[in-house]
Amino acid sequence: MRIIVLAETQKALTELCAGASQISAQVEAVIIGDRLKPAADTIWHIPAQENALLEDYTETIAALIKQEQPGLVIVEPTKRYKLIAGRIAALLGTSVITDILELGEDLAAERMVYGGAALRTEKAASGCTIAMAGSGLWKAGTATETAVREEKTVQFIEPGIRVKRIAREEKESMAVDLPGARVVVGVGRGIAEQKDLEMIRQLARAVNGEIGCTRPIAEAEKWMPKETYLGVSGLMIAPEIYIAIGISGQIQHTVGINRSKLVIAVNKEKNAPIFKQSDYGIVGDLYKVVPALLKHFG
Amino acid sequence: MKIITCFKVVPEEQDIAIKADGELSFDRAKPTISAYDLNGVEAGAQLLEECGGELIALSAGAGSIDSPKLKKNILSRGPGSLAMVADDRLQGLDTHQTAEVLKAAIEKIGEYDLILCGEGSSDLYAQQVGPQLGQLLNIPAINAISKITAADGKIVVQRTLENEVETLEITLPALVTVTTDINLPRIATMNHILAAGKKPSTVWALEDIGIPEPPRTIEVIDTRAPRQVERKQDIVEGDTDDAIQEFISKLSAVLAK
Amino acid sequence: MPDERFDVIVVGAGIAGTVAACLLGREGLQVLLIERGNYPGSKNMTGGRIYSHSLEKIMPGFAKEAPVERKITREKVFMMTEKSSMGLDFQSSLLGMPGSDSYSVLRGVFDQWLAEKAEEAGVEIVTGICVDKLIMRDGKVGGVIAGTDQLEARVTILADGVNSLLAQQAGLRQEFKPSHVAVGVKELIELPAELIQERFQCNETEGTACMFAGFPSGGRTGGGFLYTNKESVSLGVVCTLSDLIKGPKTVPQLMEDFKAHPAVAPLIKGGRLVEYSGHLVPEGGWEMMPRLIGGGVLVAGDAAGFCVNLGYAVRGMDFAVASGECAARAVIEAGQGGDYSESDLQIYKAYLEESFVLQDMKLYRKFPHFLETTPRIFSDYPGLLEGIMAELFVMDGQPSRTLLKTMMKHADKVGLLKIAGDAWKGARSI
Repeated sequence: MRIIVLAETQKALTELCAGASQISAQVEAVIIGDRLKPAADTIWHIPAQENALLEDYTETIAALIKQEQPGLVIVEPTKRYKLIAGRIAALLGTSVITDILELGEDLAAERMVYGGAALRTEKAASGCTIAMAGSGLWKAGTATETAVREEKTVQFIEPGIRVKRIAREEKESMAVDLPGARVVVGVGRGIAEQKDLEMIRQLARAVNGEIGCTRPIAEAEKWMPKETYLGVSGLMIAPEIYIAIGISGQIQHTVGINRSKLVIAVNKEKNAPIFKQSDYGIVGDLYKVVPALLKHFG
Repeated sequence: MKIITCFKVVPEEQDIAIKADGELSFDRAKPTISAYDLNGVEAGAQLLEECGGELIALSAGAGSIDSPKLKKNILSRGPGSLAMVADDRLQGLDTHQTAEVLKAAIEKIGEYDLILCGEGSSDLYAQQVGPQLGQLLNIPAINAISKITAADGKIVVQRTLENEVETLEITLPALVTVTTDINLPRIATMNHILAAGKKPSTVWALEDIGIPEPPRTIEVIDTRAPRQVERKQDIVEGDTDDAIQEFISKLSAVLAK
Repeated sequence: MPDERFDVIVVGAGIAGTVAACLLGREGLQVLLIERGNYPGSKNMTGGRIYSHSLEKIMPGFAKEAPVERKITREKVFMMTEKSSMGLDFQSSLLGMPGSDSYSVLRGVFDQWLAEKAEEAGVEIVTGICVDKLIMRDGKVGGVIAGTDQLEARVTILADGVNSLLAQQAGLRQEFKPSHVAVGVKELIELPAELIQERFQCNETEGTACMFAGFPSGGRTGGGFLYTNKESVSLGVVCTLSDLIKGPKTVPQLMEDFKAHPAVAPLIKGGRLVEYSGHLVPEGGWEMMPRLIGGGVLVAGDAAGFCVNLGYAVRGMDFAVASGECAARAVIEAGQGGDYSESDLQIYKAYLEESFVLQDMKLYRKFPHFLETTPRIFSDYPGLLEGIMAELFVMDGQPSRTLLKTMMKHADKVGLLKIAGDAWKGARSI
């Protein structure tokens, strides 16, 4: 089966190509310009256009897919590509399956629906499957770089529809890779003040982990960036170890972490739902437990 | 400005029950307006206040969306009128089908300047209908919009992406999908609710908008509650020094990798 | 914004409000029913059970159509201590006769059905809106104010529940005393219908109502209750606020202990909690009744304090229906040639006095005070009964005593005179 990979960041390109190569011997990546290093069997190279936004390549990519008819198109789940993939699907008369957590051999894809209450399995009714990977679909393992066998140039097609960018501002983004982390420490409403997060950061460092949080911490309190919110409509992660500190364990959060291999929880409420979803835990005041953990593991 | 704001009718999420076999039951889940679409409706209402014109609410779905309560609900939030394609053949549409139906309805409505959508629906959150619809209508379509300013024959928008915020100028007619950051949807007041009952609404079947049932592009194989991972639930109660030590020793065994 | 004026605005789509609105709608008046909750019933709570007589009168055969739960054909009343429960069990087809029967109900479902009836009668219903103030003009109520919106009406019916702030605003009611209200909490516990039928020995359409006194309210004024619904059981405790303040146990603790009691636990075993609710209940009876009539305004339902709790029976909804009906009739009558002044609306009181509403409120006027001033009912008497029962039924091999000696031994602990006095006072207040 031929797989075409669409990605705008190097990390995703490398990961998705590596993941795809586990299920196919024919992995092809679309690369625009030369900003990204190729990592697939075949490269479809679209020459970079001056002053073009990524969206301006939509018609070109769509024509390529229509022409090459791959079995699967796997797309990096960025906002730009959500738009581009959707437009491509419209041009090809199909729909994109977004935020997929698992992809079966028969290209049936699994994703979360109804706010995390259910898993839906769906597949393309016919033709090519266009799927957007959810965070952590094909884990960054030891991605062996594939030797590029072929490189082909794609004719750029002038976009019929264009928008004008008049300004651009870099956003401070968290250089953190939560979906790829082996250990993640999550922090929730049990934390009373923003400065107490420092203790949690120390704990994360002590266990070689990254920090994530629950929605109230990110959205209501704004103590941590939105990108670190774990849960439905946030990040879905499956680390080896997840440590939940001061998190009650509402389903909106736990659907984001319950595929972790091991879940450990600290909460002062005996009946907190998180304990039913944990392998190990302690019913105690985190302000007592965390310093003790730091003393031992730090 | 003539604005069409699209909304989806979804089941009330907290009332979706999970049956013993993991299947979902929607029996108690009443139809409601998808929360993220309310941001689109509010954006339309605010643009209307700013530059005058017309705001039409549009939805497509099964026959049951043609409900007096739902219509009153949407009309109490700013739109001056409502159009609906309510047809039982439109159950569980995939995003391409939805876009096809909305496109036909919009063509029936006629000329427009701007189409507003939520970023995704609160139930399935594919975030695809906006992009698909824009492409089918052959107009500029942009997602992730957190601010809209109207100008002559165009709009200037702020688009918030992962690592950057871009300001775009888009000539009308165009389609944008808005995020929850763009506004706080107004709460309808008593008079708005009362006035809603008097606003015009049109309900169409597929024949009225001149298209056949659009073919399915996605096959849904299964929708069920995720299997609960069996957890050890080895919980130490209490935070005495001894209890904490017990907890730590359990963790050490496990974390020592 | 509409400058229409409604004939009637009814505040509160509970039972009294919705019934009043429905009857007025049927008469062809322009009625607006305003509900603060997202849907009628969302803010309402009952134990509970509705005695059907008053609703049957206005909507004959309603029970066949309305989403009622089970017809109650078995009544149980218990005195409870920590270890024991002693009860009366009345099971009879006499309980299920049309026109005088009663049904367990769930308000969220039932009130919505009732509201649909009102809509069918042409009533306009607005939900999710809280009326903050009344429009007052020279001491007469001219409509309502919600947020920045004002709406005029020729007459306003206040059916906004036990803590009617609007009745206070209209000068019809004082702030009530803690002894006038109780706090009730309820758990809705899901159980399969067959299990309910097995445990309570009834068929698919019938069920049981149980009242408990003593232990459930921690030995203080109040009680516990259990009603069987189709696929769930309503279980809860009620405790008068003035007593609750004095007591050591919190309401959640009272609830936990009640659920764990050996007479209760087996009935709900294996059940799943699906809903937890709490509400204030009017307990003061006649003493807490506000003025019911003002210029352009009437008060009905819980807002008027129309609740009677006799320990073995709790009545609120049937009073609400009847007072809603009386209010509607009064509005229709007063509208003919009058302008809804306070004197025009006096007919409301006359209708209430004609019906069981004011007659029963008057009859039982001493009962709340009797309960309040006789804490022995909840503390000593259950213990007294327990003692006597134990003597009767426990055979420990010791030489027996006469029945009279047995009873006197326990009665003396409480005090014979006190018991006699309580019995006398009690009998006269009920």
